[in-house]
Amino acid sequence: MSKKNKNNRIVLPIGPQHPSLKEPASFKITLEGEKVVNAVIGVGYNHRGLEKACESRNYIQDLYLIERVCGICSHTHSTAYCQGIEELAGLTVPRRAAYIRVIVAELERLHSHLLWLGVAAHEIGFDTLFMYTWRDREKVLDILAEVCGNRVNYGINTIGGVRRDIDEMMLQDISKMADALEDQIKYYLDLALTETTLSVRLAGVGKLSREDALRFGVVGPVARSAGIADDVRVTEPYAAYGEVSVKPVTDTRADVLGRTVVRIKEMLESLNIIRFCIKNLPDGDIAVKAPLRIPAGEVISRTEAPRGENIHFIRSNGTDRPERVRVRAPSEANWRGVKHMLEGGYLADVPITIAAIDPCYSCTDRAIVIDSGSRTEVMDWQSLRQYSIDWYKKQGIDVSSVKLPTREYY
Amino acid sequence: MQTEKEIVEELCSKFGFLKDKIYVKRQKRIFTEFLAKEEFEQVLHYAHDKLGFYRASHVVGTDEGNDLGFIYLLSNGDGIILALKEKAPKSDPVINSMTDVYPSLEQHERELVDLFGAVVEGLPEGPSYPLPDGWPKGSYPMRKDWNPNYFDRNTMTYNPPTGDEKKEGGSN
Repeated sequence: MSKKNKNNRIVLPIGPQHPSLKEPASFKITLEGEKVVNAVIGVGYNHRGLEKACESRNYIQDLYLIERVCGICSHTHSTAYCQGIEELAGLTVPRRAAYIRVIVAELERLHSHLLWLGVAAHEIGFDTLFMYTWRDREKVLDILAEVCGNRVNYGINTIGGVRRDIDEMMLQDISKMADALEDQIKYYLDLALTETTLSVRLAGVGKLSREDALRFGVVGPVARSAGIADDVRVTEPYAAYGEVSVKPVTDTRADVLGRTVVRIKEMLESLNIIRFCIKNLPDGDIAVKAPLRIPAGEVISRTEAPRGENIHFIRSNGTDRPERVRVRAPSEANWRGVKHMLEGGYLADVPITIAAIDPCYSCTDRAIVIDSGSRTEVMDWQSLRQYSIDWYKKQGIDVSSVKLPTREYY
Repeated sequence: MQTEKEIVEELCSKFGFLKDKIYVKRQKRIFTEFLAKEEFEQVLHYAHDKLGFYRASHVVGTDEGNDLGFIYLLSNGDGIILALKEKAPKSDPVINSMTDVYPSLEQHERELVDLFGAVVEGLPEGPSYPLPDGWPKGSYPMRKDWNPNYFDRNTMTYNPPTGDEKKEGGSN
């Protein structure tokens, strides 16, 4: 697996199936003893050609492709895409839709950061914390399923607004979930700062100074943990963020511990934003009608994904299909910084350092619409669960005895 | 904080060739027309060194018919994005790498090589991105004339119809 070269250095290939996350990337690590002196990162194993595919489909079809850029932060991509089309078409999204977009975006940030915290804990062998955070993440996913119909790839956005409204019962459930989650997140923050398994293990690991963060153009929590208060929700408020007070969370540690603290504090900030939106959710329509043909033009749309700045470039040509779509997901901006973080560090820190930028990977998607011939049926969450149980029964697996969370669960 | 208009005015006063080729598209967005290579590089260096555009977020490759377009998205601390454009003919698609100014562009410029067939001089050595090993040479999938229907993923060959031959579903 590894080879020695004439300088007595060892070149260690890691990946494409690598130790951090369940997504392929290769790392050719050159070692001097335990120290990493060079790192070459190879990505692109999962390039799916989405942008080319977008050029031969119409804007609505593309929305569903774009939502599948990432299984974790699908909403941020569909929001950036819709905003871009809306700008080209001169559409103004109803305020209620803008608020719903923000609520879903912050729920997405919550589940993404909880997922990351679990992965990070797993990378350093702290699997108890991994279990805790993923248990809590389920609460957020259940709410997302209730609000959007899906745990991931929510399908809430459409060009001109959102596809589903939020009712009073849902708002109450979100509030209950937020209250229950807040105590847990505060506990995690305390844990990160005082429990040596985290605070000592992560301190000084994967350093990326403020100067280097600026030089390599990193974004999101990676940049904010180096003291750069850069957050699209503040610098260029979109959706309803202009009406919400968003405080960018920064830290000065510039290491994995700093990134951990930033993400945990951001979850508390997300809860505040969600509560504000619930309290001030305006009445009214949830979408305006969008044209099929979009006037020719170019637009750069961006959002603050859980992993940082997400940019969509769209060029339209007056038809119902885009001329060019280019998505710059935040992880793409952070890879160059990872190389610098790894070099000078230790081999044992490679997995957690890679994981600390929270590189994207896909999740299982689920569907809410069954289309068999002429029959189209929209299923609610409970019937979707029942459908799943019945489907597995046909495969010879009976999961009906598994106790499912109820509304009282929160 | 410099406003979008002030940035445009400063660039126009510094570079006469930018007159009528740069405009504020909307708040936080400045676009240029396609510039010649030398002009583009002068403006990019100035934006980085003097105007605080510290981050290069992205390079968007485009197919402009006989030319390839390259749209560099630079941003400053105020969140203003400068979309700086250059183009090169497909017959000689050579541009200079800007990774000496913006190291973060390395992967984006590699993509221009693989997907558009650009020749980026000065790009640091490293693995290609994003096409797999064995991808047919001279086959650039993001060019408009590249049709996925003619790509055989089993043999990794690109077989467009020759002469008058028409293949079903061949239109893109």
